[in-house]
Amino acid sequence: MRAGPGARNKGAGGARSREVTIGGAVSLGQRWVEDMATNKGRRIRIAVDIGGTFTDGVAEETPGNRIWVAKRLTTPEDPGIATAEVTVELLHQIAAPQEDARAAERVVEVVHGTTLVTNTIIERNGAKCGLVVTKGTRDVVDIRREVRYDLYDLNLKLPDPVVPTRHRFEIDERMDAQGGELKALNEAEVKKALAALKKQGVEAIAICLLHAYVNDAHEKRIKELLRDQLPGMYVSISSEVAREIREYERMSTTTLNTYVQPLMSRYLAELEGRMRAIKVGAPLRIMVSSGGFTSSAAAAEVPISLLESGPAGGVLSAVNTALEAGISDVLAFDMGGTTAKACVSTGGEPAVAHSFEAGRVHRFKKGSGLPVLIPSIDLIEIGAGGGSIAHISQLGLLNVGPQSSGAVPGPACYAQGGKDATVTDADLILGFLDAENFLGGEMKLDTGLAEKALDRLAKRLKMGPTEVAWGISNLVNENMAAAARVHIAEKGLDPRKFTMVATGGAGPVHVVEVASKLQIKHVLCTIAAGAGSCLGLLAAPARVDRSFSKVELLQEVNWNEVKSVLDALYREANTELSAAGARGERINWTIGVEVRYAGQGNTVQVVLPYRNIEPALGKTLVAKFEERYAQLYGQTVPGGTPQVVTWRLTGRSAVKSRGFKWAVDRWSGKGSTRPIARRRMFLPGKGDYGVVPVYERYALPPGTRLKGPCVLQERESTVVVPRPAAVEILKDLTVAVELR
Amino acid sequence: MTRARLDPITTEILWTRLVSIIDEASATLWRTSFSTLVREANDYAIILTDLEGRSLAQSSASIPSFIGTLPRTVRHFLRLFPLSSLKPGDVLTTNDPWLATGHIHDINICMPVFHRGKPVALVAACSHVPDIGGRVRGAGNRDIFEEGIQIPPLYLMREGRRDEAVVAFIEKNVRVPEQTMGDVWAQVSAAHMMAGRLAGFLGETGIDLDELGAEIRGRSEAATRAAIRAIPNGTYRAEWQIDVFGEPITLKAAVKVGDEDIAIDYSGSSPQVPRSVNVVPNYTFAYTAFGLKCMLSPEVPNNDGSFLPITTWAPEGSILNPRYPAASGARNAVGQCLPGLVMDALSAVAPEKVSAAGCLSCSFAMTGEHRGRRFAVMNFINGGQGAGNGRAGLDTVSFPSNVGNTPLEVMEALAPIRLVRRQRRPGSGGAGAHRGGEGALMEFEMIGESPAVIAFIVSRILTPAPGLGGGAAGKPSRLSINGRAAPAGEHHVIQKGDRIQIETAGGGGYGRPGR
Repeated sequence: MRAGPGARNKGAGGARSREVTIGGAVSLGQRWVEDMATNKGRRIRIAVDIGGTFTDGVAEETPGNRIWVAKRLTTPEDPGIATAEVTVELLHQIAAPQEDARAAERVVEVVHGTTLVTNTIIERNGAKCGLVVTKGTRDVVDIRREVRYDLYDLNLKLPDPVVPTRHRFEIDERMDAQGGELKALNEAEVKKALAALKKQGVEAIAICLLHAYVNDAHEKRIKELLRDQLPGMYVSISSEVAREIREYERMSTTTLNTYVQPLMSRYLAELEGRMRAIKVGAPLRIMVSSGGFTSSAAAAEVPISLLESGPAGGVLSAVNTALEAGISDVLAFDMGGTTAKACVSTGGEPAVAHSFEAGRVHRFKKGSGLPVLIPSIDLIEIGAGGGSIAHISQLGLLNVGPQSSGAVPGPACYAQGGKDATVTDADLILGFLDAENFLGGEMKLDTGLAEKALDRLAKRLKMGPTEVAWGISNLVNENMAAAARVHIAEKGLDPRKFTMVATGGAGPVHVVEVASKLQIKHVLCTIAAGAGSCLGLLAAPARVDRSFSKVELLQEVNWNEVKSVLDALYREANTELSAAGARGERINWTIGVEVRYAGQGNTVQVVLPYRNIEPALGKTLVAKFEERYAQLYGQTVPGGTPQVVTWRLTGRSAVKSRGFKWAVDRWSGKGSTRPIARRRMFLPGKGDYGVVPVYERYALPPGTRLKGPCVLQERESTVVVPRPAAVEILKDLTVAVELR
Repeated sequence: MTRARLDPITTEILWTRLVSIIDEASATLWRTSFSTLVREANDYAIILTDLEGRSLAQSSASIPSFIGTLPRTVRHFLRLFPLSSLKPGDVLTTNDPWLATGHIHDINICMPVFHRGKPVALVAACSHVPDIGGRVRGAGNRDIFEEGIQIPPLYLMREGRRDEAVVAFIEKNVRVPEQTMGDVWAQVSAAHMMAGRLAGFLGETGIDLDELGAEIRGRSEAATRAAIRAIPNGTYRAEWQIDVFGEPITLKAAVKVGDEDIAIDYSGSSPQVPRSVNVVPNYTFAYTAFGLKCMLSPEVPNNDGSFLPITTWAPEGSILNPRYPAASGARNAVGQCLPGLVMDALSAVAPEKVSAAGCLSCSFAMTGEHRGRRFAVMNFINGGQGAGNGRAGLDTVSFPSNVGNTPLEVMEALAPIRLVRRQRRPGSGGAGAHRGGEGALMEFEMIGESPAVIAFIVSRILTPAPGLGGGAAGKPSRLSINGRAAPAGEHHVIQKGDRIQIETAGGGGYGRPGR
């Protein structure tokens, strides 16, 4: 439901209108005139997120934090087109009512998130690249780790390395595990290899030498030689991309970086050009997987760090919504058409993992992709979405997903030819969705077709259609809860202490039931799921990560060496952060030390402020390590000797929540707290249908309190509260649900 | 809440919960283990059984062998320590190969779970510990006494208190006591975690675990039987030769397919040998069942019911049913042939479901002192997978086990070796309409000042992996020290500058070449 742009007299009550600036600049009377007068001082920030289907954009004007939203179909052949169009559209929205022809000049930054890197790897259309390695290791990327990701599949498929054998060259040189030079670099051989690669017509070259994580001298020298010999060639060296022990994973990361580098560099350069063409001279910031942003130049150097750029934005948006409500421990939960994602965030900071996978052969099979050692928001993804198909397993049991009906043919109720019963069909029959109000009524759902699909399953299962519909919905919830439960357990945390924040089209429909399975009491549903990632981009802190591995017993650490390496990394990182425009905020520098008991394989990360790198730090580290270890595993290891594996330096601007206010017609302004309808809906507690009130979400003024069971309808989704609960509309229109 | 009716939806939901509880405990065990084999190679498992030791569900990540062995271990424990004698907080342990996993390097524990004062289930776990004492693990050990400390079935804990005598005995007999016991305590914590979660699950759902267990087992059994019906009845035979220590061993299988069951008779296989390659019945069964599962019912979950229709037999004294005190540390080199052997036997009647023979996981273990510290490392090197009807074999991959290699950089950080090369062996896969997977070549130099002991498990040096349906055999494995062929079944003392080269076998091809 959308009010026209000219709608006036919104927010009848004075108190309310102070909070609700949602009505847009036009309706604000006196304030509007003031705004005009001070336009010069009003800064605009723009966020654009390229997704698979849509390119979303949000503009924010400060002070005031008012926001505008725009959307375009993604232009896969040249994604920059949609990005530029969305930006123009946003500027137009801001400028038109204000008659501000110079809005573009007020833009102070453009934050950009994109799935381009992920897609390039999945679709295998990256650059032709070369690889230079230590003698004897040319086949490392073929041999991998020799494990199978599925125990029982005899016809297993593994992803091919991105650099074929003919483009790999071995160099006689050698470091040892302590970083000592065993054999000097044979420079003549390097030059020959580079000439051969040039002749082969590669566009980019990766360099990955054994033990370069502890001594990068040879890699650096090869890079110098390359710069002299092949000016303009793209180059990535492993000690700069992923300075960590484990040659296969490091080599995989470096080659993947090379693989996407030419494309991303060109894309980013063109995008900057496009922005200049529309008179946006502001710097371009890029969202990276770790949940921070960096400069466009840094992103072009290490584009592999953009792998999870889009999802990271979504998580940050959820975290921001919670912080605005005074909540800092969050389970961000996103459920769309095909997948559900979950991410744990404590103290307002999303969990970050340090290894990841790209280009999986099987989307939901761990280990079926190419490993990537980059800091990345630690989220789990499972095959559970509105389109997930219900089917009967070999055991005669009902299963849901991971197969999905996709957008075409889609669920049976879309009436596009889909015959399979999906989660959306079940949700429709259960009354969680309204056939007349899907996507704001733009798409009518066919209840008859959903019933037919469910009946077929019900007959085969010898069960009633309602039982089957509830079974599908309940089962998909159980699958998501199970995945979240294990994910949270792996971090040694207790789900009951978290608040779930739902996004995505199906997120608000399922979140209350998933929360109840996890014994989570508090649930938040953010506004405008579609623009979610962009809001996250706007709330993102500047962030930079550096790391280096050196395996040493804690009691034997050479603190002078650690200090000098960290200091060097700090200088480098600080330069990058300044270039990223850390907005003059205070930067929080921390070191994350990966520690384990000598002999163990897995490490526990201990985080300390980055200062006073000296022997005394050893004691603090041991104490912190044991505390964290006991928290994770219940006890420490008597007689165990702590050992340091990797040092990680992170600089991050302070976390500040941003309260956004809609400058467009989010809130219909009718101020009615009365239900717009009542409808039959399945109530799990009762095990049967009941009649519940239906509210128009954006007709409910902030401060409204309702009781569950109830339904809150909106254009992008439906907040379904099928249990007794207290529901409250917060001042930013977030819906808060407290379960009994 | 009243007891839920076990319809096809409720069962699936409860089952999903149960598996997630086990996976939670499994994650804890994995993360806290010291053993490289646990963390790089998933050489561990944790399961939940009913009060009769019938498996209900098992951790998803574990390697194949334990699927078959752990429930049998629980049943042995129950035989020796009747349920009525067990109290909350009791933990039993053993590494007896015959009762447990087939070699003493895996320590097993078992703990009863009580709910509202009554026993409701048992949790069992096992993992390959970093060291078990004795000589270095290799194919050459001649009896179990050479292999390390034997832990007979004992109480590790009584009502929550550690039996310090047992702990002290184990600690005194292994090289890295804090790591070996650390892994055992990791199992205990994981078992406690699972017990706690299970109690919560039972309290919340009010479900009768026996009833749920019967439902799960019944459905899995029916699915396996249905899959067996697709194979024509009859007795199908195969015979292979395999070598691990310089002499060929014969493996012979008669696979009798009935209406809804399969019985494998290994009579005619070689008698047990005074080397560590003997395979106890638990392990013989485990790998046979694994091979059949890959062929027939990969989607059916692992529990007691899924394997009920499968039985294995070998006469006492056979290499597949050895008498005490046979050594069995390298039983994987022989036992892991069984999936391929059974597939070979069934290849005529189920050609689209089988895979030709491949290399088996090879490994070397090395101990000594370097820069004043004791070290003990073990590394796997895998070879080529066999080809199938319609696909080539994968190069350098672990099959049928799933043990990964150790990164070169980690290896060099742990032991005094310098890698010369690790590469593919082009042309080592057997020719065929579909070629076998390639093996690997690894060469390294010993760089330590003091001598070290190295032992190998390298199979298929004399007996390459055969092809199927007219496909050719892959190239055999090779082992050499300083350029001279070295016997794989012996322990070797190596000095600074010695060069070791291991080449793993290629997989067998499928179908006549050129077709």
